[in-house]
Amino acid sequence: MSETTSEQSLKDLMLRSLDGDEAAYRRLLTVLRTLLVGYFGRRLGPAVKADMEDLVQDTLMALHARRATYDRDRPFTAWFFTIARYKLVDHFRSRGGRVMVSADVLDEMEDGFSEEAMSARMDVERLLAQLPEKQQVRLQGQSVADTAKSSGQSESLVKVSIHRGIKALAEKLRGTRDQDQ
Amino acid sequence: MTRTNDIIDSLVADLRPVARHALARRFAVGIAAGLAISFLLQISIFGYRHDMPHAFMLPAFWAKSAYNAALALAAFFGLYALAHPDGSAKRSFLAAAVIFVAMVLLAVMQLSMTPAETHHALIMGFSTRYCPFFILGFGCPVFAANIWILRRAAPTNLRLAGFAAGLAAGAAGAWIYSWFCRENGMAFVAIWYTLSILGVGAIGALLGPRLLRW
Repeated sequence: MSETTSEQSLKDLMLRSLDGDEAAYRRLLTVLRTLLVGYFGRRLGPAVKADMEDLVQDTLMALHARRATYDRDRPFTAWFFTIARYKLVDHFRSRGGRVMVSADVLDEMEDGFSEEAMSARMDVERLLAQLPEKQQVRLQGQSVADTAKSSGQSESLVKVSIHRGIKALAEKLRGTRDQDQ
Repeated sequence: MTRTNDIIDSLVADLRPVARHALARRFAVGIAAGLAISFLLQISIFGYRHDMPHAFMLPAFWAKSAYNAALALAAFFGLYALAHPDGSAKRSFLAAAVIFVAMVLLAVMQLSMTPAETHHALIMGFSTRYCPFFILGFGCPVFAANIWILRRAAPTNLRLAGFAAGLAAGAAGAWIYSWFCRENGMAFVAIWYTLSILGVGAIGALLGPRLLRW
């Protein structure tokens, strides 16, 4: 995960683009193009891969023409990939009955792909930041023993903190999901 | 691949700053224009209503006006949300439902306070044969304005966005028409106005996918 594809940096580029910063806009479009190639590539069958470039271009042009609908106070990736998803559904629909892909199937396919993983890291950071200090034990790839050593806590305390932290995170996630619905 | 590079080049070259409330401004301009045309249409059909000062004294006049204005406002907020790709209008539709329930309660109150022999007139009125068509007619300019707004926005649920566009246009048209409507029955408004507005909403839902595709 490079720095340029995090929600924060993409949103930053978008905000600067909205203010007319051409260099930021070029970088944004270039990064998004790469993300779109991945996004559409995974969702299109091999037979229609040729359409992918069209879809990428179409989505970038839609972003351009409809950028006024981006609300500066909301996440950028969610906004952008809703547009990408709309373009994809429209693409399937315009193929008529040949490739029947319902929105439900798309929803299922949506799970666990990289544009989600991309915003997921940002979500995790945000959720962690909401937790009380004590539950904010971050292993960050280290073992429990190492974490205990570096934070000056006992191993069992680290484990308890992690357990509580996960529980609190789960509750928070359930909370945000309820809000979304 | 090079074609995409060309497109990125041209998009960058075409970049203009976007004002913070550009979309809201487009809504304001569009709605104002739609309402103005509806109003002119009404004046040209009905002329000046000579008993207007009298009508201003009637609670029924204001109740009708407030009902349609509130419905239109809720629907416009919903439309604004649906103009965003990731927008949800659930709250606006809920607000519209609450406004409708309030109107029904008002109608029940009126019926309970008036003698039974007047009820038929309060419910069925005398204008059911043309009232829905005027609401549709005065709604048309606003509907056109809503479509004009949405065609530069990014609705992703075209049927729902079309429905909201129709609902807002119907309620706005009903609001304009209500100044000339001489019905005094709250039940009449709750039933026939609402059905007319929903009818415009249904037309919007029908046309949405066709008119709003992008």
